[in-house]
Amino acid sequence: MSDLIQLGAVNERPKAPRGEDLQLKFSEKAIAQLDALKAHYPEEKACILPGLWIAQREYGGTLTAEAIAEVAHRLHRSYAEVEGVATFYSMYNTAHAVGAHMIEVCTCLSCHVCGAYRVADYLKEKLGVGFGETTPDGLFTLHEVECLNACDRAPLLQVGDQYYGPVGPAEIDALLEKLRTSPPTVTQLADEIVKVHLKAEEPR
Amino acid sequence: MAAVVSTDTVKVTINGVEIEVPKGELIVESVKRLGLEIPIFCYHPRMKPVGMCRMCLVEVGFKQPDGSVRMMPKPQAGCTLPASDNMVVLTDTEAIHRDRKGVLEFLLINHPLDCPICDRGGECPLQNNTLSYGPSTSRFIEMKRHAHKAFPLSQYVTLDLERCIQCGRCVRFTEEISGDSQLAFRFRGASMQPATYQLTDFESKFSGNVIEICPVGALTNAKYRFRARPWDLETKPGICTVTPCGTNVWFDYRAGKFIRLNGRTNEEVNEEWTADRTKFGHDFYNSPNRLKAPNLRTETGFKGAGWSDVYAEILAHFEGKGSEVGVITEANLSNEDLFMLQKLFRKGFASQNIDHRLSGGWQSFEERLENKLGLNTVQTTIAELENVPASLVFATSLADEQPMTFLRLRKGWFQNGTKVISATSHPTEVDQFAHVILRYKPGTEARLAAGLAHASGAALEGLEKFNPEATEQATGVPANLIREAGEILREAGARILTTHSLLTTSEGSVACEILAGLAHKAGHKFSCLGLKANTAGAKELGLLPDTLPGGIKNSNPGKDTRQMLEDAARGKLKALWLVNCDPLTDFPDRDLAEKALENVEFLVVQHHQAIEACEYASVVLPMTLPAEQDGTFTSSERRVQRMAPVLSAPGEAKASWRIFAELLLRIQPSTPPFGPKDVMEEISREVPTFAGVNYGALDGPGVLIAQPELGEPNLNSLGGTLSKV
Ligand code: SF4
Ligand code: SF4
Ligand code: FES
Ligand code: FES
Repeated sequence: MSDLIQLGAVNERPKAPRGEDLQLKFSEKAIAQLDALKAHYPEEKACILPGLWIAQREYGGTLTAEAIAEVAHRLHRSYAEVEGVATFYSMYNTAHAVGAHMIEVCTCLSCHVCGAYRVADYLKEKLGVGFGETTPDGLFTLHEVECLNACDRAPLLQVGDQYYGPVGPAEIDALLEKLRTSPPTVTQLADEIVKVHLKAEEPR
Repeated sequence: MAAVVSTDTVKVTINGVEIEVPKGELIVESVKRLGLEIPIFCYHPRMKPVGMCRMCLVEVGFKQPDGSVRMMPKPQAGCTLPASDNMVVLTDTEAIHRDRKGVLEFLLINHPLDCPICDRGGECPLQNNTLSYGPSTSRFIEMKRHAHKAFPLSQYVTLDLERCIQCGRCVRFTEEISGDSQLAFRFRGASMQPATYQLTDFESKFSGNVIEICPVGALTNAKYRFRARPWDLETKPGICTVTPCGTNVWFDYRAGKFIRLNGRTNEEVNEEWTADRTKFGHDFYNSPNRLKAPNLRTETGFKGAGWSDVYAEILAHFEGKGSEVGVITEANLSNEDLFMLQKLFRKGFASQNIDHRLSGGWQSFEERLENKLGLNTVQTTIAELENVPASLVFATSLADEQPMTFLRLRKGWFQNGTKVISATSHPTEVDQFAHVILRYKPGTEARLAAGLAHASGAALEGLEKFNPEATEQATGVPANLIREAGEILREAGARILTTHSLLTTSEGSVACEILAGLAHKAGHKFSCLGLKANTAGAKELGLLPDTLPGGIKNSNPGKDTRQMLEDAARGKLKALWLVNCDPLTDFPDRDLAEKALENVEFLVVQHHQAIEACEYASVVLPMTLPAEQDGTFTSSERRVQRMAPVLSAPGEAKASWRIFAELLLRIQPSTPPFGPKDVMEEISREVPTFAGVNYGALDGPGVLIAQPELGEPNLNSLGGTLSKV
């Protein structure tokens, strides 16, 4: 939950940027994909969710205020409405900037009894960050999540669109090594999800 | 209304009483027919139901063919439940009482209950419902959620997040009614909060309404915060006199001092909404610069004087001077004030130099549609916009200039699918829901109007050359958009709306004529709406140099504002009277205004505030404001509404009509009017369009004055006008 800052004088309230002042960042591919999506639905409003996924990919894994404004602008919705949608869902990264790889540790019941917190503690020590934090090199963000629906593989991690489990220190070391050299999985995940929305003949 | 209106009826049994209600009506509305009430928070009759708060739970069942009743196992939300046949509703059972207690206990878990310091305390639905239906204690002993207490969403609206019960009324208002969608819910669960994008400024022209519809003290009025408690306030009905729509309001005051405004329901005008211009625009009542006593200029400066002294001084300079004296006013005085003003000048001083157009307004007699084409200038009402197939908004920022007309137009689009064409040179709020947006180059209004008339097939003479391509050339509006708009205007019954700001543009007058002609030919209705609280009245009552009361041509026309100021600057006008206006700030040419005020021999400034022009005045007269006197106003849709006195006049200030009547009495001894009621009687006798308007008829939604009697429309001159552009 972002902090509501009480500013001294009322008229210091900043104004929302006007549409023409936005620094639009969508790539050509992204624009083409959004256009294709618009054709899927009778209203542009319906594209907010996939549009946010495109933005999450285009903005490097984090839905910044600018990313939200760009989606709203391209879909002719109000910024507030799109921000409301983005902040509702936990898979849109609006709370803070994330690293290239998001390691999500399941700490729900089955994983818990199988030692999820040992796994979590090992990760925290190894990466030097707590839950909700990103390593200084911008590579890893650690998160705690609820049941990932793969309890048979507890304790379980999710990175991008892959599950890893059961994991112990050895598997974690190997995974981190692999991730250090692989392309960012946060944007990869976003891209996968965008592709799910698009038909085969559309610009994927 | 959110309630579905259908001609089919169904039988429902509510608490054992069988009634017939329209099919699909929401149960929360149906119970009102029996004088019952279901407690609510999130439901609002003017918005779609969402069922967010669960306060309105009722037990529901259905009569079976064998006569038994099968109840649904769980209670249902009355605000989302449409009435259907054989429905049985129970609103007053043990179980429902328990359910309501449960809902309220939940709502209060995170509620701060700081009623003693809450602006809403005393008029708070949460307080009321808790008192009537809630539990007396809470089982919740944990820490409450904490959030910021006084967050300024805008200069008008302060958000206290702790008090929010997440009912979504404010969010839905900006989505469904005002249409700016500035508020939305962020986050979820207990952290869910109504907010603007990134907590930026809540920029809406109608933001004040969310304060009134918030069922708790979460959204409070930044100007009213901590200034009074509701039970200390007295309230009286009134109307807004800063917008031309005639918005109905409640004036809340305390110890004779104006405190705040709230919307008052008038289905014909504002439903229950107010514009921010209205709600926050009446501060001048409490201005420290209010004039309290008449003042006379002497060698050594201003000196307080009695009314009879200033009257004598004024008469010495005005009486018998005929065309050497004149008066300029603004159309924000009451009908009675305006009528007496022109009567004083015409009958008392024998001067026709009377004008109310400091900052634009009606055209001259010959130029006006009634007289030139035989068509009325204002043919539409606000309420009818709700149910029209199409509307064309031309050259006006409607939300600013006609806020209530804007809301009704938007409602027509939102609920009944009115196709809206937005033709403005700059982006406006109407664009958000417009079907076609015609963005033209400023100064090409008439050519665009001609193009639209051509594209809609209205056979007006002289328009042949304005085919879509030629119009595109002239105005910069793509030809295909003009065609599309023309297509929409082919079906009769559209409303064409513009305002007096069109008339201030170079081609405005011609555009106005073409649009009126187009409307006449194609079966639409046209309105060119005024911009001040009583612009419509000022024309009817003859506050124009070339028009007498009743819209009659003045065979011996006087000078208009500019001519009077020019003459004054050259010393040709000996005495000038300014009523409730300041040429220094409101006349477009400040240099001329300054010269005029400097050079005129005798200047009377009649105002409620010490304005800049007072420095030049020979006599300063204090006048009362609309809520301090009795009177009526004619809104832009020609609706006469009464503004009965609410506050007492400051010091010796007098109502304008009284000042004029007292002077007239000194010139022509006769029975004076004893009150505005008498003046209105005189008006209804003398001005045909006001026939039948009297104070007795003005309770309720007000009276639409009659349209003037015009002969057959005559569009012949249109072609000639067009050749000029
Ligand atoms: S919103 Fe109502 S119940 Fe809540 S603190 Fe204010 S007055 Fe009390
Ligand atoms: S601020 Fe008021 S109107 Fe808005 S959601 Fe909260 S309680 Fe409802
Ligand atoms: S508890 Fe971890 S996957 Fe179910
Ligand atoms: S009033 Fe019915 S759920 Fe809120």
